[in-house]
Amino acid sequence: MAGVVDVPQQIQTDAKIVVKAITSVFHLKKTRTEPAREFIALKEINLEVKKGEFLVLVGPSGCGKSTLLDILTGLAQPTSGAVYIDGNKVTGPALDRGIVLQGYALFPWRTVRQNVEFGLEIKKVPKRERRAISDNFIHLVGLDGFADRFPHELSGGMKQRVAIARALAYDPEVLLMDEPFAAVDAQTRESLQDELLRIWEATGKTILFVTHSIEEAVFLGDRVAVLTPNPGTLREIVKIDLPRPRHNSDTRSSAEFGWIRRKIWELLQNAPHESRHHLNAVPVAEAISPTASL
Amino acid sequence: MRLPAAVNSLLLRSSGVLIFLILWETAPRLAWVDPYFVPPLSIVVREIWLLLETGDLSRHLLVSSWRAVTGLSLALVVALPLGIILGRWLTGLASALEPLLRLLSQINPFAMLPLFLLFFGIGETAKVAVVTWVTLWPILFYTIIATRTVDPLQIKSAAALGVSRSEMLCKVILPAAVPTIFIGIRIGASLTFFILIAAEMLGAGSGLGWLVHNSAMNYLIPRIYAGATFIVLLGFLLNRLLLYIEASLSIWQGSQSGSPVAGQSRASSWRPDRGSAVAGTAILVLVLILGALEVRRLNQEALAGASSSSSHAKHFGTPADSSDGGL
Amino acid sequence: MENGALRKAGVILLFLALWELAPLTGLVDPLFIPRFSGVLITIRDLYQTGEFLQHTRISLLRAFSGLAVAVVIGLPLGLILGGWFPRIQQATEPLMELCAVANPVILAHIIIFFLGIGETAKTFIIAWLCVWPITFSTITGIRSADDSLLKAARSLGLGRWQLFRLVVLPSAAPSIFTGLRLSAGYAFIMLIAAEMMGAGSGLGWFIVQSQESYHVLRLFAGATVITFLGLLTDVSIRLLQNRFAFWNSEPGESFHLQGRGIV
Repeated sequence: MAGVVDVPQQIQTDAKIVVKAITSVFHLKKTRTEPAREFIALKEINLEVKKGEFLVLVGPSGCGKSTLLDILTGLAQPTSGAVYIDGNKVTGPALDRGIVLQGYALFPWRTVRQNVEFGLEIKKVPKRERRAISDNFIHLVGLDGFADRFPHELSGGMKQRVAIARALAYDPEVLLMDEPFAAVDAQTRESLQDELLRIWEATGKTILFVTHSIEEAVFLGDRVAVLTPNPGTLREIVKIDLPRPRHNSDTRSSAEFGWIRRKIWELLQNAPHESRHHLNAVPVAEAISPTASL
Repeated sequence: MRLPAAVNSLLLRSSGVLIFLILWETAPRLAWVDPYFVPPLSIVVREIWLLLETGDLSRHLLVSSWRAVTGLSLALVVALPLGIILGRWLTGLASALEPLLRLLSQINPFAMLPLFLLFFGIGETAKVAVVTWVTLWPILFYTIIATRTVDPLQIKSAAALGVSRSEMLCKVILPAAVPTIFIGIRIGASLTFFILIAAEMLGAGSGLGWLVHNSAMNYLIPRIYAGATFIVLLGFLLNRLLLYIEASLSIWQGSQSGSPVAGQSRASSWRPDRGSAVAGTAILVLVLILGALEVRRLNQEALAGASSSSSHAKHFGTPADSSDGGL
Repeated sequence: MENGALRKAGVILLFLALWELAPLTGLVDPLFIPRFSGVLITIRDLYQTGEFLQHTRISLLRAFSGLAVAVVIGLPLGLILGGWFPRIQQATEPLMELCAVANPVILAHIIIFFLGIGETAKTFIIAWLCVWPITFSTITGIRSADDSLLKAARSLGLGRWQLFRLVVLPSAAPSIFTGLRLSAGYAFIMLIAAEMMGAGSGLGWFIVQSQESYHVLRLFAGATVITFLGLLTDVSIRLLQNRFAFWNSEPGESFHLQGRGIV
């Protein structure tokens, strides 16, 4: 096992993102009710994402998926292990990764255009070029005509489109999305998912998408990585063989979609520490489960 | 006949003031009150006009504004960086310092006035120091709160781009904090208006407060009313202007009204931009320069007038000196 | 928690130690800033003569009678305008705003025509300044009563008085207390101003006297006592607030209130 000390700075790999033996331990301070203790958020996570792949991390709250994303972003350091992008170790945040967060996190004092141009300003792109790029991405997310609006004048779905445009504008190769559609209503959510797939196909980015919705995970991903909590471990990676392009009504109503959804649901239900006896105790559920065939 | 709703509401809202003004005019005329002690509105308005014509009013206004702006600027220079540091980086120190800062801010500004007079003499420094002292605390406290409560998601999404510390400060923390900081500035400004007028009454040879005080000492009753009315109007306009700017700054903050009366200051279509910020700063700088010249001239005049009395009295306010300026 | 309180107390003690040591070591001129212990001793000596106690009593009486008048007028006024007569409230709001801006320092010379320079004038001046924050915050408090809460209460068939007593007043209480604390702060500020402008007694007068006769120790003693009294009043009202309106404690509220907004 690679210790904290000798994690190589570079590795040979074809994969876009390599997550290698990530463990993340938090030291919880003493509170009134509990003594100080260690909390293992992530344990020995290994993961590879190919270039241009759409990988979804799914898991219940508390499984460490947001911690994993923070480590990928470079905002947090793992206790041991490392993340490599194009074979180079991630040491901090950089413009080769874009992030989209659940709460939009738009800057309310900036217009849609200024929000989209934020990363470009940091990158010191000249003003005229910035304008052309932001025009392009505002068009891509379907917000033409809203460029000079302020975030408080937009609906939730529109804000999330701005956040996506902002993350894409400075041309990162990897897009990290942390439950981006969790705060919007169900209908908007489905149209945003469609939109995201369209944008992904148009731009060819590598996307790592975190969600707690199984349906969303199955609909979007090429593969779905299932995380289970206490401690956060990677339980299984499920390959989604649904044909692309996927369209909302057809894909979601197909039988296969239902089977895969069911399988991931099972995986999440049978969290390892209790599953041992549960699996044996309820063979009936296993027997009638259609996922056995998958 | 029905009036449009807007006209109707305007009429309703102004009715209280209108009735008051009518009463002010008629009560002395009909001898309900002694017109010697309460001159009717029209006479007071004429007196204001006269004061404006001779330039007295604008001169004293300029002097008072200079003191206010100087004091406020000094407070900003101290409180803004301190507030940002305490709110953003030294949060542990900030919470440890909180009771001490609260204690200091509770010190009565009028109790500080004699102290400052003692330290700095009766000159301009004491008055500017009082203004600085009074405005320092609201600006400091609101800056601490403003920078402390910047949305962590906004910080995170900027941090994910690997922005530098200064970029984080200029492009995220400050813009997010400005509306709240401005609340502190507004409160400081209204406090200044109150304290400065009082300080000018207690010991000064110029300024709006002195104008009223001087009129009272000489029993120029219409001039007292004229000065007081002008000050009230000025305060009202200043308050409204500041509330307006505050509302436009925090247009995106939802329904966070800062003060009870601010409730009705609706968000406007006007949005403060770089141009208006530059214009505002230019006006303030102009006040600083013109005011400084005027203050110097007035003080020299006062010095020449008081040349018969001891020449070093100015620096070290002797009892005689402070009473000649004040009471 | 206890750790934090200790550290906070430590910071204040550190400040007092600095106050004690700075003049002692000649860091500041002890003629201008006397040692903290010297100030404490002066306060003790002053109280032993009895005269100082008299000034303190008079000042407290003035501040609290002004505050009491303000509460007696402002609270019902706010309740009535905010609760029952919104149209009258609209009609009088600009006038009240003007009155609130017309702070008594400016009006003092006019008020003196009518009330002389006796105790009535001082009480009036203090009450005038204090009445507006109470009135405005009461109106705001009543206005901000949660609509769904009101609906729920009304659906229970509560009468007008019950509705007011059980729902409206409790939801307005935090705001009212905020106004009260603001007013109490004003009362002390105004008290000193009023006593400085024309009085023959009271702590404000005492401070001015000390300044004019260069009794720096007495000046500091007076200022310290006034600050202490103001602080004590603020803390007492805060305790009342915690007792009667504990459900609304916004974070950072202590810092907010220190802003002491006029209007």
